[in-house]
Amino acid sequence: MAGPELLLDSSIRMWVVLPIVFITFFVGVLRHYVSQLLSSDRKLDLEQVSDSQVLLRSRVLRENGKYIPRQSFFMRKHYFNDAETGFFKRVKRKVVPKNPMTDTSMLTDMMKGNLTNVLPMILIGGWINWAFSGFVITKVPFPLTLRFKPMLQRGIDLLSLDASWVSSASWYFLNVFGLRSMYSLILGQDNAADQSRIMQDQMTGAAMAMPPDPNKAFKSEWEALEVVNHQWALESVEEELMARDLDFGGIFSANNS
Amino acid sequence: MASLSEMYDVGWEEMRDKLRKWREDNCRNSEQIVDVGEELISEHASKLGDDVWIIYEQVMIAALDCSRDDLALTCLQELRKQFPDSHRVKRLTGMRLEALERYDEANKHYDAILQEDPTNTAARKRKISILRAQGKSTEAIRELNEYLEQFVGDQEAWHELSELYINEHDYGKAAFCLEELMMTNPHNHLYCEQYAEVKYTQGGMENLELARKYFAQALRLNNRNMRALFGLYMSASHIAASPKVSAKVKKDNIKYAAWAAAQINRAYKLAGRGNKENKCSIKAVEEMLESMQITMS
Repeated sequence: MAGPELLLDSSIRMWVVLPIVFITFFVGVLRHYVSQLLSSDRKLDLEQVSDSQVLLRSRVLRENGKYIPRQSFFMRKHYFNDAETGFFKRVKRKVVPKNPMTDTSMLTDMMKGNLTNVLPMILIGGWINWAFSGFVITKVPFPLTLRFKPMLQRGIDLLSLDASWVSSASWYFLNVFGLRSMYSLILGQDNAADQSRIMQDQMTGAAMAMPPDPNKAFKSEWEALEVVNHQWALESVEEELMARDLDFGGIFSANNS
Repeated sequence: MASLSEMYDVGWEEMRDKLRKWREDNCRNSEQIVDVGEELISEHASKLGDDVWIIYEQVMIAALDCSRDDLALTCLQELRKQFPDSHRVKRLTGMRLEALERYDEANKHYDAILQEDPTNTAARKRKISILRAQGKSTEAIRELNEYLEQFVGDQEAWHELSELYINEHDYGKAAFCLEELMMTNPHNHLYCEQYAEVKYTQGGMENLELARKYFAQALRLNNRNMRALFGLYMSASHIAASPKVSAKVKKDNIKYAAWAAAQINRAYKLAGRGNKENKCSIKAVEEMLESMQITMS
């Protein structure tokens, strides 16, 4: 039911819409600096570093193995994959499963994460809801069903009002997600003000609980390396090279005397 | 003596930007860095803000390279005042001790760093460079091998190891290290060319074929690599001149060698374009190519 077009007071724009944008933005920037101050250095384990580099080397072998001679490739593949002496078969790392409840460092990290991210969001959201309640802010450009009404129109009890008209709380949430690209522009990539990335991390769950199990990683690398064939990229390199004259552009400066 | 800024009419911002460019490109023009950096820190230190610390580090390393121990000491003292517990500064202290040839003290410094942080690669690499500076190549090779067992991805280390092996004439192992580098940097023509040179030096029909292929690959990646072009010519003519090859292989290699010679001639013609002695230099090139032909004795 498309209601009549409402004409909103322009002071709403000046005193509500823009302030919410600024508030969200500055709170985000503040969050970024606070989390930087609170973040603790992760102590790197020598074995973890070494393992990650080995996995990287194996991956490089799979992808770029075609640039080295056949024998060298097989020598390396044998080193990694041989049934008895291969690295991936031989090396088993002791994996201590880290229980997120009892591991103290994990716990403090989780608490810090919650503190800097979720708490401000709830507080500010609630304050905005209280301070800017009772009127609609803006209209979303696409039609919404009636089910969205109680969610997006807090504090307004008009049955006949189109669900597209939203209140300040929903504008706040829109801002939280929309300003992500602004944060990466101003604070650089990988900043702590990026809410949705953190929520994504929490959803994948295991990523936060323990480091990826090295044994599983080794096994999957072993399987991947087994199936790789060596297709030497240099089979017909001379023919390809000599198909045309070499391009010496710019090799000598014209004023060489 | 006029200051650099007066001589070249550059402002302090340009000097700072020049230093940053050298830092990012990893250039080793230590004398220039020392000249520019010394003036920058003595006159404009306050204007540099937080950049001044990294400039201190850059100038200090360049000063050690030029034997300017006084300048190195000043930079080090400033850095130590600002960052008293930093591993990075401790490494610089160790480097200064190395420059003064007090190797045992330097070693103690690095061991202390490694005790606190076993994953610190910089300290381990400095220890290996000490061994190299003292001329103990076998120990250096051994230590570098152990280092690489743990940090397989360190390309600088692989390159250093290949150089050490080449010095010891162990070309097989040098080729292994260069293969690692080629895999991680498939588009770098210099690694291809170095690998081809090592294979050529090893000798033997298979290695010569490989050398020829990798010279060709280096040329494909960069058409202007003259060294690879000469290498291609040499390896092709070497294979063609060997008595043990089949007629087809001989024919192919003569074709490759002829093509390479033609390209070399073209390159020299292009080089001598503006030159009056044009004809003489081309003849010289042809004679040189003829003399490089491998003849069977």
